[in-house]
Amino acid sequence: MSDGNIIEIKDLTKSFDGGNITALDGINLEIKEGEFVSIMGPSGSGKSTLLNMIGALDKADSGQIKVAGIDLMQSEDFSKFRLNKIGFVFQLHNLIPNMTVHENVQIPLIETDVTDEEMIERSAELLNSVNLGNRLDQLPTKLSGGERQRVAIARALVNHPSIILADEPTGALDSRMGDIILNLLREIHQKENVTLVLVTHEDYVANSADRVINMMDGKIVT
Amino acid sequence: MAIFGIAIGVAAVIGLGLLAEGLPSSTQSALTEGAADFSVIAKTSNTDGPNGQGGPVGSFGGQELINQTKIGEIQQISGVGSAVGVLRTMTNLDNTTSTTTNSSSPGGDNFRSMTTLIGIDSNSISMNDIVITNGSVYSNEANEIIIGKSAAERSNKTIGDTISISNQTFKVVGIYETGNFQDDGGIVMSLDKLQNLTNNTGKVSLILVKASNGTNSGKLATAIQEQYPDELTTSTSLSGMDRMNQGLDVINTAVWAISLVAILVGGIIVVITMLKAVSERTREIGVLRAIGWTRQRIIKMIIGESILLSLIAIVVGLIAGIGIVEILGSTGMIPGLMPSFSVSLFVKGIGVALLLGIIGGIYPAYRASRLEPTEALRYE
Ligand SMILES: Nc1ncnc2c1ncn2[C@@H]1O[C@H](COP(=O)(O)OP(=O)(O)OP(=O)(O)O)[C@@H](O)[C@H]1O
Ligand SMILES: [Mg+2]
Repeated sequence: MSDGNIIEIKDLTKSFDGGNITALDGINLEIKEGEFVSIMGPSGSGKSTLLNMIGALDKADSGQIKVAGIDLMQSEDFSKFRLNKIGFVFQLHNLIPNMTVHENVQIPLIETDVTDEEMIERSAELLNSVNLGNRLDQLPTKLSGGERQRVAIARALVNHPSIILADEPTGALDSRMGDIILNLLREIHQKENVTLVLVTHEDYVANSADRVINMMDGKIVT
Repeated sequence: MAIFGIAIGVAAVIGLGLLAEGLPSSTQSALTEGAADFSVIAKTSNTDGPNGQGGPVGSFGGQELINQTKIGEIQQISGVGSAVGVLRTMTNLDNTTSTTTNSSSPGGDNFRSMTTLIGIDSNSISMNDIVITNGSVYSNEANEIIIGKSAAERSNKTIGDTISISNQTFKVVGIYETGNFQDDGGIVMSLDKLQNLTNNTGKVSLILVKASNGTNSGKLATAIQEQYPDELTTSTSLSGMDRMNQGLDVINTAVWAISLVAILVGGIIVVITMLKAVSERTREIGVLRAIGWTRQRIIKMIIGESILLSLIAIVVGLIAGIGIVEILGSTGMIPGLMPSFSVSLFVKGIGVALLLGIIGGIYPAYRASRLEPTEALRYE
């Protein structure tokens, strides 16, 4: 890794359906540690696919991708990498419905070295910081969309990740809730100096980032 | 749904197992100390033998008789502790008495249906599991008999009474028990007397053999069979026990067949339920993988849930299984039923259900672990 880049991507390609759909068509991208980057582009341009590559949820066809010093083109199970380095926030549906808010936030820490006490402490602290300290024992179904998203953010942070990958985290929320979530992410980014990669459709959201990347047909255009 | 299926399986295994184990425990007590290890019988050829319908009394059910000289020969075989000849026949005492002109015959007016007649040397009755409970054993020379416990009850005969068989009068000197329901309804007399009565002098139906101490009775039986390959064969279960055991075999087989079907159905239901659960939770599994759960962790979760499912089913199944047996027992639908609530049976039932939970969970768990996180996350 050179120049403090936490993400380094070279000529990355990815296609689906046996090559019929080219989702990523030669991506070159470097993101510095602690940087806040937003990704914009029309639907189907490959934003989510790119995010999934960075989070090692899926494997690219060719090119190079190195995240937090790890070569993701190797064939192995990257569960550990995700657990230790990545915090994911998705557009929706990303809590486990039959677990309480408190338990949901603790999921990433189950079966790690973290003690039960610390798990509970960290989870409670994070839920406090997203203003859900009084909803710990409720099921996600009892929460509003914005509240659920705040739980998801707490969960993404519980393992102290180096990178937060957020795929349209405000997409399913009204603008007031969207602002709250966005401010929360920005705040975390500043306080913890965590790298934040945010996919969004909205200009004003994107413009609050250090850098905006525009995608089109699987390529970065600006 | 799955709980229901496994519960039926457990209930079937427990309930039927209780019945099946209850039956043999009431018959096995019949085997006494002095009992023979096995019996030697004539090899049945389908050609009509010279014996069987010869006597004025009884039928031998097609069983060919053995020449009595074989007893001496078998006694010479090394490993044989003792060998004793037995003649068995069935007779209808009603008929035999009705043909007599002696209207005052005390003969068994109350004997209905077929009665087993057993001829055996009075010194060797223990070889046939016979235990005298009242009175004494008959003499080999006099017209004396002993009658089985249930025969005595049925015919209202007791010690001192006389019974007429084939125009000869016999005195009841004792009551015996064998634990075998067929023999307990019968009459035992000396071998000579029964041979005379049935015109079968020098013939026996079977030879009871007891191995000498330290001899493997199974090997001995094989040795005897090999010595008379065309004439004799051996049977480990004794006479009437045969039929009883065959009946038990049928019940046991039925129990296992039903249990097997129940287990199969339970297993299929577990697999279907868990597959359904996995597919309903595809998105959830995708999230867990994205958060950093390994494939193994997903497998553990699904199999754990599958086991939990079967545990609940076990409780339901146990209650149902015991309940059914209790009801059957209290209504007396199966006489002489003594359900034996053995620990091993419960362990069996619980073990089977747990196994179902694990095995039934394996495939769905494997499927879940193979889900690509991205595919799972796109799933609505
Ligand atoms: N698992 C998949 N199987 C098949 N095609 C896929 C898969 N994932 C993505 N694609 C296709 O790849 C292309 C890029 O998809 P991607 O989800 O990255 O777009 P996006 O920019 O995130 O769009 P949106 O703004 O609608 O979320 C699309 O044509 C999509 O249909
Ligand atoms: Mg997308």
